[in-house]
Amino acid sequence: MEQKHFKVIRKKILLSMILVPVIPFILILGIGYYYFVTSLETNAIASMKRISADHREMIESFLTERKSDLEFIAGSYTFQELSRPKALAEVFNRLQGKSDAFTDLGIFNDAGLHVAYHGPYRLTGKIYKDTQWFQEVMKHGYYISDVFLGYRKVPHFVIAVAHEEEGNKWVIRSTIDTFSFNNLVRKVHIGKTGEAYLLNNEGMLQTERHSGGNLMDKPLDRIQYPESHRTTKSFIDKDVNGVKYLYATTWMKDKKWLLVIRQEKADAFEALTSAAYLIILIAVIGGSVIISVAFYLTNGIVERMTQMDAEKDQLGRQLIRASRLAELGEMATGFAHEINNPLQIMKSEQSLIEIFISELKGNGQLSQSETLVELEDSLNQIGLQINRCAKITQAILKFGRQSEPVAVDVNFKQFIPEVTAMVAKKASVNGISLKENVSEDTPLIHVDPGQLQQVLLNLFNNAIDAIIERHGSSGGELIVESGPKENGKVEIAVRDNGQGINPENLKKIFSPFFTTKPVGKGTGLGLSVCYGIVDGMGGIMDVSSEKGVGTIFIITLPAASSNPLIL
Amino acid sequence: MGQLKIMLVDDEERFLVTTKKLLAKKGFDILTATSGSEALDILGTEKVHVVILDIKMPGMNGLETLRQIKKLYPMVEVIMLTGHATGETAVEVLKAGAIDYLMKPVDIDDLVQKAEEASEKRQRLEAKIRGASMAALQ
Repeated sequence: MEQKHFKVIRKKILLSMILVPVIPFILILGIGYYYFVTSLETNAIASMKRISADHREMIESFLTERKSDLEFIAGSYTFQELSRPKALAEVFNRLQGKSDAFTDLGIFNDAGLHVAYHGPYRLTGKIYKDTQWFQEVMKHGYYISDVFLGYRKVPHFVIAVAHEEEGNKWVIRSTIDTFSFNNLVRKVHIGKTGEAYLLNNEGMLQTERHSGGNLMDKPLDRIQYPESHRTTKSFIDKDVNGVKYLYATTWMKDKKWLLVIRQEKADAFEALTSAAYLIILIAVIGGSVIISVAFYLTNGIVERMTQMDAEKDQLGRQLIRASRLAELGEMATGFAHEINNPLQIMKSEQSLIEIFISELKGNGQLSQSETLVELEDSLNQIGLQINRCAKITQAILKFGRQSEPVAVDVNFKQFIPEVTAMVAKKASVNGISLKENVSEDTPLIHVDPGQLQQVLLNLFNNAIDAIIERHGSSGGELIVESGPKENGKVEIAVRDNGQGINPENLKKIFSPFFTTKPVGKGTGLGLSVCYGIVDGMGGIMDVSSEKGVGTIFIITLPAASSNPLIL
Repeated sequence: MGQLKIMLVDDEERFLVTTKKLLAKKGFDILTATSGSEALDILGTEKVHVVILDIKMPGMNGLETLRQIKKLYPMVEVIMLTGHATGETAVEVLKAGAIDYLMKPVDIDDLVQKAEEASEKRQRLEAKIRGASMAALQ
């Protein structure tokens, strides 16, 4: 029951000791982590958006510049001039001097005939009237193609610009080197896995991709498109291999090309991963510190509580014993008092009978006979037994009534020789060495010296009896010790090497009328009286003994200063 | 001064009877009373030297009786008999003027001894008083 009670308390304390610090601890870590993640993601996305906008600007300006180059040529030269291969070659060389992205240059009339061409292929004379690009450029004035293979079977894209001259439209077209364009687009550095690429409106790669993907391939990764031009869409999605990427997509201005910038999420959020590990580490260490401290403290508290409970129990038992002793004392006193009156009469009667018999003997009415001797012996025995009863009642009365003690400060060091002197003779006769082992720092005790003497004499006499029982008349040892104890107490110990007390008797040793002495030798009240006296002094009397080794009686008394209340 | 006259006061009649016989055998003149008031009555008529008084009696108790005796007959010596010799009672009894006290059950010889001591003390006192009054007369 008790045990269970403590288990419940232990569980409650432990739980609150763990939960109270752990909950805010985890909350703080969690909130910190949440805000860190949010801010990191916001930053990463913002920087990705910024990069994508910048990159788009750059690519756009490249395309715009190339377009302007062609427009400039178309405006500066006439169709006639450019139709001459020599002039075209000259123009091309100048153009390439400006940007080596141009790989060729061609002039078309409004019928789509390739009038003049300068470049690595032989394209002069081909007719492009029905090609999509030619129709587009005639319609809108300019055209930038997707990457395509064309007649050349090499991926390329073209920029074409139409020019109107005296009512006739003609077209100047140039092929852009996909290699240098590729490098331009790919030239983006974000973390370890950051990359940029272009997709046409069919989702086909217009530039190569770092992470794999050739020109004109159609990657299967899901792409989300921005709602409108000039905005950037950012999102996180898995690619076909299941790797999570952080994406930013934006449309180019002059062309239905989508600029995709992406970075592996783990790379983008690398700091986050280390933060998460750190937080887990802190949580584990902090948690285990909290738990071990909680266990340590709870064990301490419960242990102390158990100890206090045990002390309380012991105190309770002592109180019960003391009050029982007091009741018993009162009863015994009344009883002894009542017995004394009949004893008195018996004693008087016995004395009278003795006188009568001696009178009868004196005047010869009773002759000496065996019967008379028996009678006198019997009478004598009655007298003895009456005296024995008287002794018992006197002992009971002494036990029941403790005359008002007068407590004074007693210096034990000076006090003890007076007491040992009283038993010194008895001890030396029986060959017992009597030692005083009183420590110098034994505090003053506030007690009635008479009572203390009574208690010590009782213990000494018992000890001497026990020693004689074991050793006869030599080899006995009786030691009285004293010294300070914690909490302002003084400990007095009476130690003997007598026969010892068996455990069964040890339990009853302070009970009134308990004695192991032969009939008529002891009343069995001595130790219970001592117990009562020590209790009245506010002290505790304890005993430990081992059969055949000896016995120690320990009296713990309050020291003088700490003991203002003594009855 | 002649025979020592002792009065026994106790509520136990058998005690009175037997002790009277015993003390008579020892050669004392014995009177008995079973209560304090009876004892005072007897003291009014008889010249008693020593009173042996039980402390615990119904009616007027021993201590009260002792005080009355000492008040009315200061020359009478009183020995208290008690079944319960507590320290306080002893002190009180002696303060009230008893010459001594004995604890029950008392040995008859002890009783005789105490009575004789009391009587001697009383005789010395009487002699002193006589001497003093004679000196005063001269």
